[in-house]
Amino acid sequence: MIGEPILVMLVEDNVDHAELVIRTLEEHRIANRVRHFLDGQSALDYLFQRGEFLNRTDNIRPHVILLDLRLPRVDGIDVLKAIKEDDNLKTIPVVVLTTSEAEKDVAKAYYNHANSYLVKPVGFDEFKRLMDDLGFYWLSWNTHPDPRD
Amino acid sequence: MKYLLEPPSFKDAKETTTARLIFFISAGMVVIGIVFDIVAFFTSTVVFQRALIIGAISAPVCLFILWLVHKSKISAAGSLLLGMIWLIITVGAITAGGVSAPIIIGYLFLISLGGLITQKRIGTFFAILSIVSAVAIAIAEMQGVLPPTLQYSPLERAGIYTFFFLLTIILQMVVAENTNHLLLNAKKSESLYKTLLESIPTISYIVSNNGDSATQYVSPQVKRLLGYSQYEFTQDPYLWKKILHPDDKERVLAESIFTFETSQPFQMEYRLLTKEKRIVWVRDEAILVHDEESKPLYWLGVWTDITSRKQAEEEQADLIGVMTKRTIQLQTAAEVSRAITSILDLNVLLPNVVDLIRNHFDYYYVGIFLVDKEKEWAVLSAATGEMGRTMLEKGYRLELSESSMIGWCLSHRTARIALDVGVDAVQFRNPLLPLTRSEMALPLITHGELIGAMTIQSVMPAAFSRVDITALQSLADQVANAIENARLFSERASLINELEVRNAELERFTYTVSHDLRSPLVTIRGFLGYLRQDAVSNDLTRFDKDIGRIASAVDRMQSLLNDLLELSRVGRISSPPEHIPLELIVQETVNLLNVQIDAHRVRLNIHPNLPTVLGDHTRLIEIMQNLISNAVKFMGDQPSPEIEIGAEGSDKDGKAIIFVRDNGIGIDPQYHERIFGLFNRLDPTVEGTGVGLTLVKRIIEVHGGRIWVESQPGAGATFFFTLPVGLEKTES
Repeated sequence: MIGEPILVMLVEDNVDHAELVIRTLEEHRIANRVRHFLDGQSALDYLFQRGEFLNRTDNIRPHVILLDLRLPRVDGIDVLKAIKEDDNLKTIPVVVLTTSEAEKDVAKAYYNHANSYLVKPVGFDEFKRLMDDLGFYWLSWNTHPDPRD
Repeated sequence: MKYLLEPPSFKDAKETTTARLIFFISAGMVVIGIVFDIVAFFTSTVVFQRALIIGAISAPVCLFILWLVHKSKISAAGSLLLGMIWLIITVGAITAGGVSAPIIIGYLFLISLGGLITQKRIGTFFAILSIVSAVAIAIAEMQGVLPPTLQYSPLERAGIYTFFFLLTIILQMVVAENTNHLLLNAKKSESLYKTLLESIPTISYIVSNNGDSATQYVSPQVKRLLGYSQYEFTQDPYLWKKILHPDDKERVLAESIFTFETSQPFQMEYRLLTKEKRIVWVRDEAILVHDEESKPLYWLGVWTDITSRKQAEEEQADLIGVMTKRTIQLQTAAEVSRAITSILDLNVLLPNVVDLIRNHFDYYYVGIFLVDKEKEWAVLSAATGEMGRTMLEKGYRLELSESSMIGWCLSHRTARIALDVGVDAVQFRNPLLPLTRSEMALPLITHGELIGAMTIQSVMPAAFSRVDITALQSLADQVANAIENARLFSERASLINELEVRNAELERFTYTVSHDLRSPLVTIRGFLGYLRQDAVSNDLTRFDKDIGRIASAVDRMQSLLNDLLELSRVGRISSPPEHIPLELIVQETVNLLNVQIDAHRVRLNIHPNLPTVLGDHTRLIEIMQNLISNAVKFMGDQPSPEIEIGAEGSDKDGKAIIFVRDNGIGIDPQYHERIFGLFNRLDPTVEGTGVGLTLVKRIIEVHGGRIWVESQPGAGATFFFTLPVGLEKTES
């Protein structure tokens, strides 16, 4: 559905990294909205509409979730698990975006049904390009399931 | 012919005597007969005639008799001779007119001869025959049956008488000579035997056969062996009983009574006491001697000195005893070796070793002491029996001084034997081991290091010799080596374990570090790129902000690196631990964090009972700094923030328990473990590197303590940790 506002959910504890991602996505006007969560707990509360997000009317279901693995309180993998085990939420593509390229992290992420695994590159240009590609792929190319189904 | 004329001699003395008698009489008869004939020829025809006839008959018969004698037909010869003589006398008397014939005197000769040359019966027969013949002739003469009496002149009569006298003389001479001969032989024999008996090394004796066994004779050698002379033995015929060894007396006397009753040969070995009260061993053999009619006469016995043989036997027995002991020792050593090489668990090895040694040698008690780490005490680590169990349970131990066998042994590093513990210093007595008479303590030395000692105790006095020390010391050396091996083995196992743990830690560390160090780099590079953009687009606000982000990222990296470095240094404490009152540490820390504490208006409540701890000054400051700083940071919205620092007794290892309590936001129990993990931060918005608590935990663990937290969300947090207690200084 081209034209429809796309919501990207970014779960990232590092504010600087979050800033980078947001800026890049906005620049390329790929996503109109990015919602940033600093930790796994609040991310899940939002998705499951509980806790501090109980009875809120603007809990819009994201089209894609960018998930860092190293999060305080609830770990990234646990967030992934929670999402993928829920019938309602499991259809949302979850892209792991993290600094770690350790094999066991990759394996664990995929084992828990991550849709993709991206390693944050250190170089700025590469980072920008990654974000571009990310945006294009997941938000333009990829066909989203209808959340209403 | 010549052979006939030699006097006979046979082995049997009696036979010889008789034979010689017959021989000489026969020979004598012939000779004297011839002489008589010659004389008669010249003096009297009548006698001559008669003599000639007699001679003619008797000569060949005599020769025949001689031949018989040489052929050993003694009794035949004797009977024939007697018969011939009787015939000659009887016929002579009859033909000479009766009993008045001088030849009648021959009967006298016949009777004498008969008794000597034949058995009693034949001799008696001829004697009676002679008397009867004489009477018969007398009767015949009275009847006038006989021819008229021959008239002999007095000279003729004398001549005939002389003939018989001569024969009688010969008889006498021969008999005398024979008797002398016999006596001489007997004497020679006797002296030969006597010499023999008195020169051979064994002692001969004669004892009466009347039940009391009185000594009748004992050979002179007895003096050499027993010191008592022959005379003393015969003076007191029961002396031999008196000098019997008291331990053997009963059985010897019993046996001798038995022997007397059964007349069986006597054979025993027993001891006698010499005049100087020395002990000798003798072998006594005696037999009962009978006379010709098998009537028992006396006991003839022999004492042989077997002292040296008995001594040799004893020595041999001792030698065998020693060798057996040696064999057992070697056997035990081999078994212990086997056990040692197959058991690496010290808890199994030590009890096995003491039991093996105790059982193989049948000792009363065996125990092994091991020196403790501080080298002040020898702790009982294995012991046999019930008393061993009791002592082990009590944690029995001995000081390394000289007040005990083990203590002495350990101080001097050499073996020690006490041969009679009851006598050899009362201080060595252990009331739990009352039966000990001798004790041996052996040091356990391996690779030149003294690791303990082994005690072996016996209920026999003087149970240990130098030979035992040598054998058992080599055993002890083996045991020492085995203990060392077992220790090394378990040390190795724990080292390997530690290594594995460290390795895992390192891996986690590396992983974590690489991840968390990369993060700032991403930020820096990312925003460097944007800086360019910002400059181009002339967005100064953003430009400023972005530079700020880069700067703080760099700062973060720096502090991260610093903390990591600190963490790695914590493992190595270079300075020796000091005794520091915790109060001082807290004061110093409070001074360092003064600004922070005031800024958050935190109230401090420091208890007065803070203990003195043993540790590194700098590190202790770090502990308090991190804990207090955290407490301040996580106060949240608390209107009256307060931090309480105090001590709460000690844990089971004797370490002091200290706490830092705050009334801040608290920590959810599910994170109580994670907060100590590296870079685990519960609230990323709060300043911090995530290394703080990890550092604190590491420092405490290096000091030998542990740390834990009690907290609930919204109800503050209490961090508890333990540290080794130091010595209170009386004056600081």
